Amino acid sequence: MLSLQNQFEENVLTTRVDWLINWARLSSIWPMTFGLACCAIEMMAVGAAHHDIDRFGAGAFRASPRQADLMIVAGTVNFKMAERVKKLYDQMPSPKYVIAMGACATGGGPYYKYGYTVVKGVDRVIPVDVYIAGCPPRPEALLEGLMKLQEKIRSSSVVRKPARLA
Amino acid sequence: MDFQGILDRLTAIRAPGLVGSDEPRKADPKDKKDKGRAGDPFAIVDAQLLSEFVRACRDDDRLHFEQLVDLTATDPSKDAAELWINVQLLSLKFRHRLAIKALLPKAAASLPSLVPVYRASQWHERECAEMFGIRFVGHPDPRNILLPDDWVGSPLRKDYEFPKEYHGISCE
Repeated sequence: MLSLQNQFEENVLTTRVDWLINWARLSSIWPMTFGLACCAIEMMAVGAAHHDIDRFGAGAFRASPRQADLMIVAGTVNFKMAERVKKLYDQMPSPKYVIAMGACATGGGPYYKYGYTVVKGVDRVIPVDVYIAGCPPRPEALLEGLMKLQEKIRSSSVVRKPARLA
Repeated sequence: MDFQGILDRLTAIRAPGLVGSDEPRKADPKDKKDKGRAGDPFAIVDAQLLSEFVRACRDDDRLHFEQLVDLTATDPSKDAAELWINVQLLSLKFRHRLAIKALLPKAAASLPSLVPVYRASQWHERECAEMFGIRFVGHPDPRNILLPDDWVGSPLRKDYEFPKEYHGISCE
């Protein structure tokens, strides 16, 4: 065992489990390939070279909800689509996050009053973590929203709190 | 052919269901309330004979409307007793167009389908059917095209009432 002495000093880090798992999660938020309206065009711009969402580790758009961590609801949700959105959300594995991108997904947007088939906010169907304002939001705004989501993940904890002793 | 020429030809071949025509006009300068009418001139047709009318337009050698550009409907106001059916025909051969308007009573909104004449009207008729509650008799596939299958009401009617909830999703 003598040969192992002083071998770990440069290779071993000590950290907290929370920090490590949160770091892993927030550094590889894989979104689902999923666009509903014009906001999706901005989302594509974020994915492309100029804005480059891959800098944040969220550039791997997955074609299956089974492989995705993040659902970016980019566009108008109508009733016919809402049931599909709910189904896709249910198919995603935990931990899963939702960004409501733009005015339509946040609260119905311009269709609030006279849109007879538009859901007045996707949060009536699935829980939302981050809302992004704009119609459509600029790519920078979506990146800001992603960073907000990363902050949220950073502040979460995987450690189960011990049950109170009776 | 211009509109007057088309109208003369339609009269000459006794196109079924032709009731009259309406042309745009300028506002009367003496009457301040008169705003005139903008837009295209159109032929007014009996809705029940619309299918036969467009068949005559298509098959006549001098008119030769081989393309149906649009078929839609209009609900002019809450108080109006009638819906409008608006049809646009185009002849590629002679490069002329015809706008057709047919009045359809709201109480009995039903007319023969145009699909046997123009297959292009299938989707247009399905949209009119769900949005205005018009029945196109003889349509080969009368499902909803945009709205969910279990949707109640005709959204583009002026007297439409918005739903309170749909499948448990609140609309308030």
